[in-house]
Amino acid sequence: MIEVEQLVKRYGDVAAVNGISFTAEPGQITGFLGPNGAGKTTTMRVLTGFTPPTSGRAVVAGFDVFEKSMQVRRQVGYLPENVPLYRDMSARGYLMYLAEIRGVDNRRQRADAVLERVGLTSRANSAIRTLSKGMRQRVGLAAALLHNPSVLILDEPTIGLDPFQVLELRDLVRELRHDHTVLFSTHILSEAQRVCDKVVIINQGEIIAQGTPTDLRSTLETGARVLVRVEGDASSLVQKLASLPDVSSAHLEAEGLIVTPASPDIDPRTSIAQAVIDAGLGLQEIRPLAVDLEDIFIELTRRASRQPAADAAAEAAAEAAAIQTSSEEAQA
Amino acid sequence: MRALWAVYKRELGLFFRSTIAYAVAFALLGFMGLLVSSFIAQIVEANQSGFTQRFFTADDLIAAYMNYFTFLMVLFGPLLTMRLLAEESREGTLEVLMTLPLPDWMFVVGKWLAAWTVYTFILALTLIYVVLAAALGVPSGGLVLAIYLGAFLYGGAVLAVAMIWSALTEDQLVAAFLGAASILVLTLGSVIAEALGNPTEPGFANIIRELSLATHYNDTMLSGLVQLHDVIYFIMVTVVALFLTTLIVGTRRWRAA
Repeated sequence: MIEVEQLVKRYGDVAAVNGISFTAEPGQITGFLGPNGAGKTTTMRVLTGFTPPTSGRAVVAGFDVFEKSMQVRRQVGYLPENVPLYRDMSARGYLMYLAEIRGVDNRRQRADAVLERVGLTSRANSAIRTLSKGMRQRVGLAAALLHNPSVLILDEPTIGLDPFQVLELRDLVRELRHDHTVLFSTHILSEAQRVCDKVVIINQGEIIAQGTPTDLRSTLETGARVLVRVEGDASSLVQKLASLPDVSSAHLEAEGLIVTPASPDIDPRTSIAQAVIDAGLGLQEIRPLAVDLEDIFIELTRRASRQPAADAAAEAAAEAAAIQTSSEEAQA
Repeated sequence: MRALWAVYKRELGLFFRSTIAYAVAFALLGFMGLLVSSFIAQIVEANQSGFTQRFFTADDLIAAYMNYFTFLMVLFGPLLTMRLLAEESREGTLEVLMTLPLPDWMFVVGKWLAAWTVYTFILALTLIYVVLAAALGVPSGGLVLAIYLGAFLYGGAVLAVAMIWSALTEDQLVAAFLGAASILVLTLGSVIAEALGNPTEPGFANIIRELSLATHYNDTMLSGLVQLHDVIYFIMVTVVALFLTTLIVGTRRWRAA
């Protein structure tokens, strides 16, 4: 269980985290989603007792991170970004070293148990510097699991892995949520959608939305523009759709008809479907244009920013490009 | 304490698996070997010439080479400590250590203890020269004890001071260089004090003299004089330096990235 209330972390004049509040429940994977530099790592460093908050409160496994730092550190398994490890040690040696510092009993058995959990038993005696990036990530995860912590904090665990390793690691993290409260940060939006039970979206140190991936989607689908594809002459339908009470405008594009609802709290799909059928045309497809977290993220960031609509559109496009680039980096 | 012991064991193991401890031991003992054999030759020649004011003994030889040994710590001390925190910082493993349930001072002290152990090991190897010195006559036990107790404490203080720089920078070379510079200043404090004025009178020169490593070792213990305040001086320097190192490591918690 993680409870964060009005957490602020400043470095000099810069607020890396600016008054965020959220909770992460046991048995769930809470995704911490945002672009690079949004404040994800800073928040995680506060939650792991690495750095104290400037103001606000964070309670991890029942202990305040500032007042009970040592208790928090005992309860938390942390995989830092870029997975720092002692490269000269073997995987097992590293785990046994951490186990000794943590005062874990039966160090050898415990180290072997977590190595098996992450599927590294065969490389237990290999020096960490000889392991591949994906294997090192798994050693880092094994280190986080070593003392069977109630809370797991994983900072961008899939960054730099190849697509196959990403899938493996996601599966592993999915399994872990049964025994641990998991906080999982990522800047890849589709990943949060696939892995997490709950998503907290953060940008420039502030939370811009939180909820289940499904909730966030339906929030955004309401009021979103709708794409309609029909069999037959679509142009005849434009006037008809535009005159519906739920619809403010409709126009034809190569993809199909794009329909904008009359207000942000209206989902016009039912009335559109009825209108298409009344016109005697075949309805092939009707869907909101915002369908995945990428769109949701761009849309929410756009809504949060106070810039004029034209700028916002350009910004959204730039962001889409940036996200594309960063996903590519992650894959590379 | 269990955590401190774990850090200590790992660091010590690392010293003996890396080349640095062997390189320092090899260079230091090689140099000392040349020095001791040349001292022996000089002493024998002087004693036989009959022109010396007094007869040189094994005690003189031991005091002479230990004078050099402690001075050479200006160079070799920082070589032993430069890695300790700079590498953790560069590799990012400091973040791992600092989110484990152990207070910062524990891993600082554990690492310093490991370096001190290596130093003590090298110091123990110089006991071979005490055996050689016996060729000039039986060394006085009390003097040898005083000199080696002093050198043991001297090393602990030098390593603690050099370690401060390893906490301040990620660059081992910079840590070693600044460590050497700071220990040189500490060692030469008594010389600087003499240049500034009469160091026996109270005042600025006297303070500098009292802060110098040489004042509390080369001027006293090296001639067999063990005074409580000299022992306390070395312990104080060590404790203050380790405290500073811990504080500096702690600033990572307040800095960005």
